[in-house]
Amino acid sequence: MIEITGLVHRYGPREVLRLESFSLAAGEACLLLGPSGCGKSTLLNILAGLLRPSEGAVVVAGEDLAGLPGAALDRHRGARLGIVPQKLHLVASLSLFDNLRLAQAMAGLPQDAARIAEVLAGLGLAEHAQRRPRALSHGQAQRAAVARAVVNRPQVLLADEPTSSLDDANAEAALALLQSQAHAAGATLVIATHDARAAARIPRQLRLAA
Amino acid sequence: MNLPSISFAYLRARPLSTLLNLALLALGIATITLLLLATRQLEDRMQRDAQAIDLVAGAKGSPMQLILSAVFHLDAPTGNIPLAEARELEKHAMVKQAIPLALGDSYKGFRIVGTTHDYPALYEARLAAGRLWGKPMEAVLGAQAARETRLATGMQFAGAHGLDGGGDAHESAPYVVTGVLAPTGSVLDRVVLTSVESVWAVHQHGEPGEDPQKLVEAMHEDEKELTALLIRYRSPIAAAVLPRYVNATPALQAASPALESARLFRMIGVGVEVMRAFGLVLVMAAGLSVFIALLNALQERRYDLAVMRMLGASPGRLMRLMVFEGLLLAAAGALLGLALGHLMAELLGAALRAARQPEITGWIFVPEELWLLALALGTGLAAALLPAWRASRTDVAAVLAEQ
Repeated sequence: MIEITGLVHRYGPREVLRLESFSLAAGEACLLLGPSGCGKSTLLNILAGLLRPSEGAVVVAGEDLAGLPGAALDRHRGARLGIVPQKLHLVASLSLFDNLRLAQAMAGLPQDAARIAEVLAGLGLAEHAQRRPRALSHGQAQRAAVARAVVNRPQVLLADEPTSSLDDANAEAALALLQSQAHAAGATLVIATHDARAAARIPRQLRLAA
Repeated sequence: MNLPSISFAYLRARPLSTLLNLALLALGIATITLLLLATRQLEDRMQRDAQAIDLVAGAKGSPMQLILSAVFHLDAPTGNIPLAEARELEKHAMVKQAIPLALGDSYKGFRIVGTTHDYPALYEARLAAGRLWGKPMEAVLGAQAARETRLATGMQFAGAHGLDGGGDAHESAPYVVTGVLAPTGSVLDRVVLTSVESVWAVHQHGEPGEDPQKLVEAMHEDEKELTALLIRYRSPIAAAVLPRYVNATPALQAASPALESARLFRMIGVGVEVMRAFGLVLVMAAGLSVFIALLNALQERRYDLAVMRMLGASPGRLMRLMVFEGLLLAAAGALLGLALGHLMAELLGAALRAARQPEITGWIFVPEELWLLALALGTGLAAALLPAWRASRTDVAAVLAEQ
């Protein structure tokens, strides 16, 4: 599902990421570990098609990202990937239901209210569907961000620091949620974190050096 | 969930900013719309009132005042002219038709005009009820005058001295309404027509019940005066000859409705242009405001735009979203402004109606309003272009990584 060969990424002359080879099968979960500045988020952004690598080949969900033109890359990201950003970034002017509709619309997929209702119910958010994000607790907002990431049945689920600033119980809940949703969708799960608590749950780990 | 619904949701979430931008744009468009409607209708009306009249002869004074009083019935007359002089002018070879006007009285603010049947014929007026006057002290009302004075055929009324309705009433010499004219869209709608002899008889101050015809017959010829003569030329050459002839007469002056109307519009045109420029400044200020709002929105919404890109939106789609929002604001502001402009024209019309002035209405549409709509949309588009371009260049990874 994910194949990386000879990956190098630089910001200007400064090399921030080097990864000779890495692969992850469909349905597998993997942690990207390492200290701040080691390139975890850069790798996640490359996998998401938000950054073009300086060198190397990256194949995600069957697509060689280097060969995809901009528009096709955008469509690929919307339809096949689910992303949970660190700051969640739910759209404040839209209800929770509309945040999920936005995910379908931006991916160019048909509006499927039944699927949204199913996802929200599965995450215990059905009764909050018409609320705006600011009316949600942090835990609810986190589940909402996961709901948005999985509503299009992604083949790859990417999460950036999902447990940062969470206590143990909530960190445990967030990881369990991501794993369960990835499992339910049959998606490959990649979590970028420097949180050692995550290591106990997900045995497959890629450590990046600073 | 499409571009319009995303834009609507966003604009709804910022009601104050949205309303301020709408109000600014709407005020600019409304100002220009009001000017368009008012000037177009007043020009049309003045043109209609003056179109069949080539020349006005009246007492010496301001030619514009003569036109305003004798053609548009807005100003006070310059004075009276001896009937003998008027008769002499009527006989001139270059005069095809001369319609006498005798002014001096009014009823509830509507001028009583002593004239002949040629005067309503000049405007192709038709009777809505009754008949034209046949003898002194019979009167026919214009449509607006009849409507607002609630007079109908067979009813009597007494004119008041003066043209503003504030003078003493001639109670001893009441008029009888014999007819009401159908609306003509001309000055006839707001006057009361009668014979010249009626005006003379009223001012003889006879005893109540005294025969007005006998009062007129008793008048010395030197006492008989007119206010003005509305003249139609026999041929275009008359335009070069007749005004000079009239002005050479000691008691008379000539004034051309076409020339004086054009002069009047040149004079008020400066004010109209100033107001129009003011309206344009408001529209431009609104454009600037929309630009600033969209630019600020870009900063406020950088996370939302980055999320949309993260969810699969192309840069072009973000650009279209911002352009759509600019156009949406502009279109809403323009439509609101057009509606407001028409409402203001209608309110102004009501005020003019109450002041017995030429009416205007808000219920007409002038083609230039389409240009106003285009101007507003162009402003919205221009205001949205830079924010839209910047939105399309959102660095998704960097924005999502912001703390």
